[in-house]
Amino acid sequence: MSLKGKRMGLRVWALAILVVVGVGLFVAADEGTIKLGAILPLGDITGAQASKAMQLAVAEINAAGGVLGRQLELFIVDDESKPDKGAAAVDLLATVDNVDVFIGGMSSGVHLGELPALKKYEKVTVWIGAASSLVEQAAVGLDWYFHIHPWDYLQGASYVQGWADLQTQYPLIKISKVFWAYEDGAFGTSSFQGSLVAFSNWLNSGEPFKSALLGGGDYRSVLRHAMDYDPDMFVWVGYAADALPMMEQAAEIGFTPPLFVGSPPGWPADFGTSPLAEGVISYGMWAPSIKDVSPVSQHFWDAYIAKFSEQPATYFAPLGYTNVYVVAEAIQRAGTLEKQALITALEATNYASPLGETLTFTPSKLIAHQGFRNQKILQWQDGQQQVIWPFAYATALPRYPFTGK
Amino acid sequence: MRIARYVPYLVGAAVAATFPLFSGAYLEQVAGATLIYLTLALSWDMLLRSGQLGFGTAGFFGLGSYAAVLLFLNVGVQPFVSIIFGGIVAGVVALLLGLAVLRLRGMYFAITTLALAGIFAVVLRNFPSLTGGAEGKMLPSCIFSGDTANVYWLILVVAVMTIVISEVFERTRIHVALTSIRNDERVAKSSGVNVFKYLVFVFAVTSAIQGIAGGVYAHVFGFVSPEGSFSANFLLLPLAMALLGGIHSTWGPVIGALVLGALSEYLKLQIPYGHLLVYGAIIVVVILFLPQGLSGAARAWRGRSHAARGAR
Repeated sequence: MSLKGKRMGLRVWALAILVVVGVGLFVAADEGTIKLGAILPLGDITGAQASKAMQLAVAEINAAGGVLGRQLELFIVDDESKPDKGAAAVDLLATVDNVDVFIGGMSSGVHLGELPALKKYEKVTVWIGAASSLVEQAAVGLDWYFHIHPWDYLQGASYVQGWADLQTQYPLIKISKVFWAYEDGAFGTSSFQGSLVAFSNWLNSGEPFKSALLGGGDYRSVLRHAMDYDPDMFVWVGYAADALPMMEQAAEIGFTPPLFVGSPPGWPADFGTSPLAEGVISYGMWAPSIKDVSPVSQHFWDAYIAKFSEQPATYFAPLGYTNVYVVAEAIQRAGTLEKQALITALEATNYASPLGETLTFTPSKLIAHQGFRNQKILQWQDGQQQVIWPFAYATALPRYPFTGK
Repeated sequence: MRIARYVPYLVGAAVAATFPLFSGAYLEQVAGATLIYLTLALSWDMLLRSGQLGFGTAGFFGLGSYAAVLLFLNVGVQPFVSIIFGGIVAGVVALLLGLAVLRLRGMYFAITTLALAGIFAVVLRNFPSLTGGAEGKMLPSCIFSGDTANVYWLILVVAVMTIVISEVFERTRIHVALTSIRNDERVAKSSGVNVFKYLVFVFAVTSAIQGIAGGVYAHVFGFVSPEGSFSANFLLLPLAMALLGGIHSTWGPVIGALVLGALSEYLKLQIPYGHLLVYGAIIVVVILFLPQGLSGAARAWRGRSHAARGAR
């Protein structure tokens, strides 16, 4: 062999050794982390803020020494609000990133597409979104599946309870006649139909409208019919885009029912700055004002703003934070990533969350591990969303009646 | 060299057929979804070759989904039978609707077909005892129990079938008829082309393909819902794929679907928080600067290089 050939041979050997050592180091580092795989719609504020809150939780836990002496590693994949992309994300996280636990979630429609893929891998899954009871049916018998968000029927039941409690506590508030204005899509229609069942003891009437989100935005005829009906409570079920024009048009015709309730999945960021927001009631799992009664919520609020220089504007932010902490604490309790031990540890969850409530898992109608069961009734007061029910987390007294001023 | 012309096709077919043997579940899942959109893009283009801009893709996709799922749940037939049934229902509905809406032209036809998805969704939502209403219906289990390799092969069969039908359209008198209708309907008529018959035929066939794609999608993901099954994604994404790849041909939409399918997934992994912006910008730039699409640009480049060689 020539000198040139020998040198070439040495180089090949050196390269091979480097590759082997490198791969070895990589594998060692790889085994050193606990991998959480999150699937969220990152193009939507819910998914974007939930993912940031998850990063915050992971950073805090790692700064405090990690879990079982190992660092947490968070993999976030965008589901683009499409079932096929969600299913591909499950396969990516399970087979390429080899995550230990699945977390995340928002839309029910996407999650229904993800569930068949999740069932293939049967890894522990702790989900924060997907409220449709159709998802609950799809998750029957999955002992590794934990669901944090209240199912749609649990939300309905909590509103029934909430309004009953409010009427008992504040006898001035009387509800027997309700008008429902609902957007004519699946969200509004199913909410209206569910409400008719949940509030069957009330005298209900309703009418659909075309949401501003989908090219509508003129609610005058619905509002006039509602005004003629003279309800104790007016509820509109639509999207954030409907919020301000709905209030403006109600003010325009002088419609001021004693209770004016809006039930969009999220409110416009600047809704509170409008004088028309005063006294409007809404539903949700969290409001920034909860930080005034919950130290965990206060810590979350401050840490989130410090890290991302923006305020958490959706309840999916504290839900995402809760998601990571619940899993991390369960792994710590289990002392291992072994599936059965982790399931048992998750079943013992007792986590004081930034949403105000303490999270535990108990059976729901169809699945064994259901987390939160209640929504909250909130009211816009002086530009802020205040909790008026449940009373245990109330941050303000209700203002009644609605004056439209 | 006649054989050399077919080498890229043979290599492509071999790679497509053996894909699950060297890829994992993730790539199979991505490829399967891409092939669904490819099928929709190609079927949309097949109608466009007649000059009729149809926006009913999402409507017939959703209709096929529902027909397949409802037949499967209520009659208990094999999934494959229900998928074919989904295609037949979509095709028959298109045939009947076509008798009326294909009297319209241009934007009138486009807007009417755009409304179909909304109309189908409203109708289905209002029969909750049969269709599950606003929530939709769920299957007890997914086709092949969710095995991504088998699912990929099933979708590949549907996509190949669509490519074959498109090539039949391209290589028979249908091509001549559709092209002449697109160029000048009066001239086509005076040449003896039965314009209405051809339009109804193509509308029904392409809608049946979209219905089959919908049936497959429903069986792969195990559910149907008015919002999900009639989503605008099943119109806009195939449309972007066909425009990017190049319209009025078989291979334009195929190339567009494969490029956009791979690109969207790649960008998502590289830029988790801004990939949709970049993806949208790329589509806009390509359509602006390559109005004939990628396949048109490739043809032009090949033509120029042949001309340069000839000049030498």
